[in-house]
Amino acid sequence: MATLSVALTIIVQAAMISALYALIAIGFTLIFGVGGVLNLAHGATITMGAFSAYYAGQLGLGIPGAILASVAIPALFAGLLYLGMVKRLEEEPIMVMITTLVVSVVIEQAIVVFEGTTNRSLPQLIEGQFSIAGATFQNLLGVMFVVSWIIIGLLFLFVNYTKTGKGILAVSMSHKGASLVGIKSSRINLITWIIAGAFAGIAGLFLGSWLTASFAMGQAQLVLSFSIVVVGGIGSIRGSVIGAYLIGFLEIATTNLVSSSLQGLAPLVVLVVVLLVKPEGLFGREFAE
Amino acid sequence: MVNDGSTSGAGGANGSKEIGDEYNGNKSKLNRRRFIQAAGVGAAATGLAGCLGGGPGGSSEGIPSEVTLGVLAPAPENNPIGAAIANSAELAAQKINNSGDVLGDADNVSVSIKNTEESPSTGRQRYRELTLDEGAHMTTGVFTSEVLLQLMDPIAQQKTVHMTTGAASPKASNQVNENYDKYKYHFRSGPINGYHLGQNMVDFLEAKGDDLGWESVAILVENYEWTNPVQQAIEDHIGDLDVEVAMEERYASGTQNFGPIYDSVEDSGADAAFVAMAHTGTPAIVQWAQDQRPFEFGGIHVLSQLPAYYGMTNGACRFTVTQNTATPQSDLTDKTLPYVEDYNSAYDSFPVYTGYITYDAIMQWANVATELGTVNSDEVVTGLEESSFTGTAGSLDYYGKDHEFAHDIKYNFSTDSSPEEGVNPVFQQWQETDGSGTQEVLHPSYVSSADYQAPPWV
Repeated sequence: MATLSVALTIIVQAAMISALYALIAIGFTLIFGVGGVLNLAHGATITMGAFSAYYAGQLGLGIPGAILASVAIPALFAGLLYLGMVKRLEEEPIMVMITTLVVSVVIEQAIVVFEGTTNRSLPQLIEGQFSIAGATFQNLLGVMFVVSWIIIGLLFLFVNYTKTGKGILAVSMSHKGASLVGIKSSRINLITWIIAGAFAGIAGLFLGSWLTASFAMGQAQLVLSFSIVVVGGIGSIRGSVIGAYLIGFLEIATTNLVSSSLQGLAPLVVLVVVLLVKPEGLFGREFAE
Repeated sequence: MVNDGSTSGAGGANGSKEIGDEYNGNKSKLNRRRFIQAAGVGAAATGLAGCLGGGPGGSSEGIPSEVTLGVLAPAPENNPIGAAIANSAELAAQKINNSGDVLGDADNVSVSIKNTEESPSTGRQRYRELTLDEGAHMTTGVFTSEVLLQLMDPIAQQKTVHMTTGAASPKASNQVNENYDKYKYHFRSGPINGYHLGQNMVDFLEAKGDDLGWESVAILVENYEWTNPVQQAIEDHIGDLDVEVAMEERYASGTQNFGPIYDSVEDSGADAAFVAMAHTGTPAIVQWAQDQRPFEFGGIHVLSQLPAYYGMTNGACRFTVTQNTATPQSDLTDKTLPYVEDYNSAYDSFPVYTGYITYDAIMQWANVATELGTVNSDEVVTGLEESSFTGTAGSLDYYGKDHEFAHDIKYNFSTDSSPEEGVNPVFQQWQETDGSGTQEVLHPSYVSSADYQAPPWV
């Protein structure tokens, strides 16, 4: 019975953590899949989401204000980042990497200047706990799991059943082809960046609410995003979700069954192994020609 | 009202009105004695002497007309620990300028504050700016042992008295002991060194164990330089107590997710997490409270020492216990509360532990220099060694040069009477009164204000 209980605890814990990891990685893979560029400011956008919620709390805007701020501000930022910088450099992916890396550093330093290096506590989104198989979990994590799947579901519906979504799919397959049928790829890219920014903001909200927010919190998330999309196959949303769950389960199993000091190691080990053994990832690049 | 408005405070970190944007390089001066302008030539000469090597504290005789106090603080504009160092140095300088006795021969005492950014290399650079470019007659401050240890050689080179007020590594005092002539300019006015911090935790557990009811503990220590001696001392002394160590973990620096660690603590069956945390403290405490982990929480949690911490964590620190130099309510000496009131009047906030210590260090240095009639560092070193100065945190007495902790402030544990020599840190618990958090003192009894409260979910 004890073994069953431990196994159930690991499964529930891992399912919830993986849901967060999926949220973290989807935006990153979406931008690569559609625009063909790597957004190294993705981690900083997550940090921005967390601090937007923090500031909303400080301003007394309550939980609804914190949620709204954590979604709207990163989405707006991502949109402006695309229009102001990335759009001009789209044909030069290396320049996009450098530019977004610099932006990421600027955001982190700005937080250090204004808030310092001390972690900040966000407004508690949901109080209380629930129990499964004798183990207790925060309601926050349960809600995070549900929200993650709702967002993933909505994204699939959006991409597959709306005109704009189909446009995203078309641009991800071929910029030229999409242009020939009258789809403006820059508009589609802008929408993609805004969606990715909003997702990163939601991930930052949950991450910050769960673990607290700090200027460097996005760094580990960027590494995690890399690992997840490499495992799943760069550019594949389905692969990212599966990659997130694979890494989430591996991490929870390692920390529970081996040592708690090994947290953070699993994504890196998986990243190296996949790059060596199956560099195209589990699902290749499903949007690729 | 101590602050006449002409001074610049590190207010951003603590809610005061002024933003201390000058800390990255410029000097902030207290111009109460206006005739200082006439003494400008003397000040320039003092500064020039500093540039010629050896530092002004080593080359000048007597008390110069312009005395410069060099202060090293981490991000004083937004880090409460750095802000307390900077603000308290300003307060001390103001107090000296207002008094006719302390450094009375000086026309003006000014403070130059530099931001170390918690970086050893930046700390070195700023220290050199203070001593070489600005001719500081003494330096003080420094948070984190990593920064301090990289300053030991520059301090020895400049031969200028440095009084540490925020770093605990005993490696610094070991250096003084092993190579006294070279490193004798370093004093640690507080906090008590890292080994004593660990010993203090065990002493507290022994004295208050019955009240706390902690029969088994899980030792959780963050992996930073300052916790090495803390952990060593706990391991050396906790075996003398009738307390089981159910688990011990030195977790990675930068840990954000404490879930797996707390799962291990729960599995160990420990009554309490016995912690040494500074940099990683907020995620640790927030997750402990939000998860309502079934064990109690106490030890040394540096961020819980901040008077504003209850608000910063939305009350998550409630029921946690931590060692502290002093709290705004703890009447340790007859100087404690007046200092707290002056600080609050000037900066609209309460000081952190580094504030008490910095204020004490500067006042002790100034009093010793006044008694000797010189700021000459070699003479002041001897003066400080012989000094016993009552400050806001207790009596500032230092171990002698033959002690393994040479020039560290003396640690003197006592439960029911204020020690005549050295300091006796307090242990506080965050409790809630009328919806707001207060740092209630549990120990020592002569300043205690409340009994321990266990978290209701344990």
